[in-house]
Amino acid sequence: MKQTVRVTVNGRLYEEEVEPRQLLSYFLRETIGLTGTHIGCIIGECGACTVQVDGTLVKSCLMFAVQANGKEVTTIEGLADGDALHPVQEAFINNYGFQCGYCTPGMIMAADALLKKNPDPSEEEIREGLAGNLCMCTGYMQIVAAVKEAAGQVNNG
Amino acid sequence: MANADPKQYVGLATRSKEGPRLATGQGRYTDDFTEPGMLQAVFLRSPHAHARILGVDAQAALSRPDVFAVVTPEDMKRDTKPFRPGRYAAGLKKPVEEYAGAVDKVRYVGEPVGAVAARDRSTAEDVLESITVDYDILPANTDVHQAMAGEDASLIYEELGANLAWQGTLEYGDTEKAFREADRVVRENLKIHRYSSTPLEPLACIASFDRFSKKLTVRTNTQVPENIYDALRDALSLDDIRVIIPDIGGGFGQKIHLIRKYVVIVALLAIKSGRPVKWIEDRNEHMMAAGHACEQHFDVEAAVKNDGTVTGLRFKEIDDVGGSVSTLTIHFTNKLNNLSNTYKVQNIRADGYSVVTNRCPVIPNRGIGKPGMCYIWERIIDRVAQDLDMDPSEVRFQNLVQPEQMPYTTPNGNVYDSGDYPGLLKRALEKVDYPGLKDEQAREREKGRYLGIGVVIGVEPGGRNAARDMAIFPEMKETPGSGGINGATIKLEKNGTIALYLGSPNCGQAHETTTAQVAAGILGVSPDVISTTTPFDSDIAPWGVAAANSGNNFHLYDIGSIIGAATQLREKVLKVAGHILDAQPSDLEIADGVVTVPGFPRRKLTFAELGKVAYNNQALLPEGIDAGLQTTFYYTFPHAQPNMVPGKDGRVRAQFTFGAGAHVAVVQVDPRTGKVEVLRYLIVGDNGTIINPDVVDGQIYGSAAHGIAVALGEGFVYDDEGQLLTITLTDYGKCSTAETPAIEVEHAPSPSAFTPLGQKAAGEGAAIPSPAAIASAVENALEPFGVKVRDLPLTPERVWQLIKEAQA
Repeated sequence: MKQTVRVTVNGRLYEEEVEPRQLLSYFLRETIGLTGTHIGCIIGECGACTVQVDGTLVKSCLMFAVQANGKEVTTIEGLADGDALHPVQEAFINNYGFQCGYCTPGMIMAADALLKKNPDPSEEEIREGLAGNLCMCTGYMQIVAAVKEAAGQVNNG
Repeated sequence: MANADPKQYVGLATRSKEGPRLATGQGRYTDDFTEPGMLQAVFLRSPHAHARILGVDAQAALSRPDVFAVVTPEDMKRDTKPFRPGRYAAGLKKPVEEYAGAVDKVRYVGEPVGAVAARDRSTAEDVLESITVDYDILPANTDVHQAMAGEDASLIYEELGANLAWQGTLEYGDTEKAFREADRVVRENLKIHRYSSTPLEPLACIASFDRFSKKLTVRTNTQVPENIYDALRDALSLDDIRVIIPDIGGGFGQKIHLIRKYVVIVALLAIKSGRPVKWIEDRNEHMMAAGHACEQHFDVEAAVKNDGTVTGLRFKEIDDVGGSVSTLTIHFTNKLNNLSNTYKVQNIRADGYSVVTNRCPVIPNRGIGKPGMCYIWERIIDRVAQDLDMDPSEVRFQNLVQPEQMPYTTPNGNVYDSGDYPGLLKRALEKVDYPGLKDEQAREREKGRYLGIGVVIGVEPGGRNAARDMAIFPEMKETPGSGGINGATIKLEKNGTIALYLGSPNCGQAHETTTAQVAAGILGVSPDVISTTTPFDSDIAPWGVAAANSGNNFHLYDIGSIIGAATQLREKVLKVAGHILDAQPSDLEIADGVVTVPGFPRRKLTFAELGKVAYNNQALLPEGIDAGLQTTFYYTFPHAQPNMVPGKDGRVRAQFTFGAGAHVAVVQVDPRTGKVEVLRYLIVGDNGTIINPDVVDGQIYGSAAHGIAVALGEGFVYDDEGQLLTITLTDYGKCSTAETPAIEVEHAPSPSAFTPLGQKAAGEGAAIPSPAAIASAVENALEPFGVKVRDLPLTPERVWQLIKEAQA
């Protein structure tokens, strides 16, 4: 039996009929077509599908779409302001804080959430803050450098 | 020719071409695509490590209206043909028929037995439960030593008569003499375990079939189009095949070999159903059945003079190749690539044994057999040092090939293009203040704090020679090719922009950025006006045997073909412009996409103006020149001889360029818990001329981080029944930001004498010496306990055991 959900994603309201078992990650990718949220494990280990729900970091494979009813979701597609990249995106590009790009959307969402809570984190705090997001390519060096560069540029208000 | 400078943008960290799309969620991976009428496939997999398939009943599944196609072992046998033995299986004395899916038997947990295509994935998953398989369970073989002793629990391939499926020897120089004349012989037993780079994006494929033209199109995340192309031809007897490769979410070798099984079966589902079919692997499937790096056991002995000179190396290698014969010798033959590492030893013998087991088949993984070869060398050199009471770095200096010997031919026929190995090692020791560090270590030991220093060195081979494996299979009937061939296409468009089309796919190594940097200098434009067309499409890509995101091929073949294609395009631009401007082509200059006649500021043509002539205005074209401004160039390595194809002596150029790196690991070990902490990790590397330093650094950081993680705990664990115990990333021990140490890199390039820019490889590099560096450092830390490190991984539990064993 399908259920109706009303979810605001990147500022746009979506009203959709979904299976109760549908995960938020599949809702984003398949129901509303935002494929920037990636799936690497589907059991909450890898962080590739990380999004923000009402400003809180969420692994979207660990939430059902129906649980997002009435909530505001921000995905990687909602971070830039038109053509102007978000400071975290700009810092990742500038520092080559990505290789294959598969973890990158989740990593950037996690970095943004970290910097909103802690605008000036130490290296240790950055490493702790991103520990829920796995990257198989980079060895994390340039990711950490990107977050350091973006620190102070993210509006935590 | 006027002012072409291929190096104009070389060495600069230009802005990433891929970055903006990847950082905004606009990357396009296989799972992001849909096709009209597309179905979803799932695989039925074996729950047993070893069993005979007595029967499969799929009637219930087939009778469901929402199921469009089912593949069973019977279909595999009826509708497909076995793969031809490739370059890693040609050594089989008796032919073994290997189909894409299991027929008659299953040989590892997770082996695909069947597949279902349904309207959506959840339906397909539900339907799987209705398929019943009648298995006759057989004893599992999980121990290579049992097979070596001729005590197979059961035969995995009855036709082979034993689970020891292959054995062979490579010998260069006169090892007998070296050992006879040695002052001493140093021996050790070593082991490297099963691991993987676990790319974050799992295997993926969408297949569609035009039943009228018989054209099969697959969109898949393979690293090597040839493997998919050949597999589909062999298995499905089709010729018209199109392989499209979009963005790939990490490769590392994992997406080269076994992926072909799945693409064949998904294609069969598409043919049977008449609909496009998508398949996306899940994480557990990937861990169980997408392939592992090989468990390798080594018995090593070195012939040594009392001054520390190693005059001979012999090793016996036993490889656990898992439940397939298709990659039987891949880890053994890859040792030809760095067989003598950085050392001048002339006498080497390797005896290889490949044992099939009831575990996941082995596949290429970042360096393949090379980390094992470097481990052999670096561990035995440490043993020599202990035996002679010399400093380990001193023994290395004693044996290194010297810069004045370059280009240097190794005993097995590799030609090292350039390098200053003593310089790399010296610089690494200076950077960490080696004497100071040793003093600190001694002081801290007094206080009960155990610091360890590991110093190793390794070559990084680049640019694969397709004929390498013929060194062990000279009788090979169907040659796997030789040398390397790959192409690139460049087009100056009507609006003056430049489009590149590469002959190989990219899985995160910034190929779009670096090829634009090189082409820009030759063409006299800014890299900003150059774009690379993706995805890779075999119908239009100029691809050859070296079109592989593998083997450290990019720097040689893709950069070589870009230079060739851009140089030809530049020549054509100058000819057309010279005709219009009434000037000699050799007198013209190009800057910022404008062709000028020096001294005549009004006589100039922009690339956009030239484009309009080349595609629209026949009357303005010079005679004898083809219209259009597009060139395609297929590159072959001009220095591939001698030893491109092995002779009777087995000497062969396994790869064509050789970078190197000296690694220093400083660790702290807590003897109470066995926990190892990496305090410092430094690499002084020679990657030749660096095109983009940020890209190369990224490759080094990533490959080092993986090698360190492999040494410290990542790995696959099986029980005695052949059940995989590590099917999630957490169980497997994947490292996050919290566990991964900071890595320092200093570049000390020796440009290659053989490549157009002096460039060398950078992709596999630091994954090769890093496991040895960690092993060395941990052993050094635990010297007071008498611990010897032979096996990896060094998990806290294992380190704790080593201490207890040494104390017992």
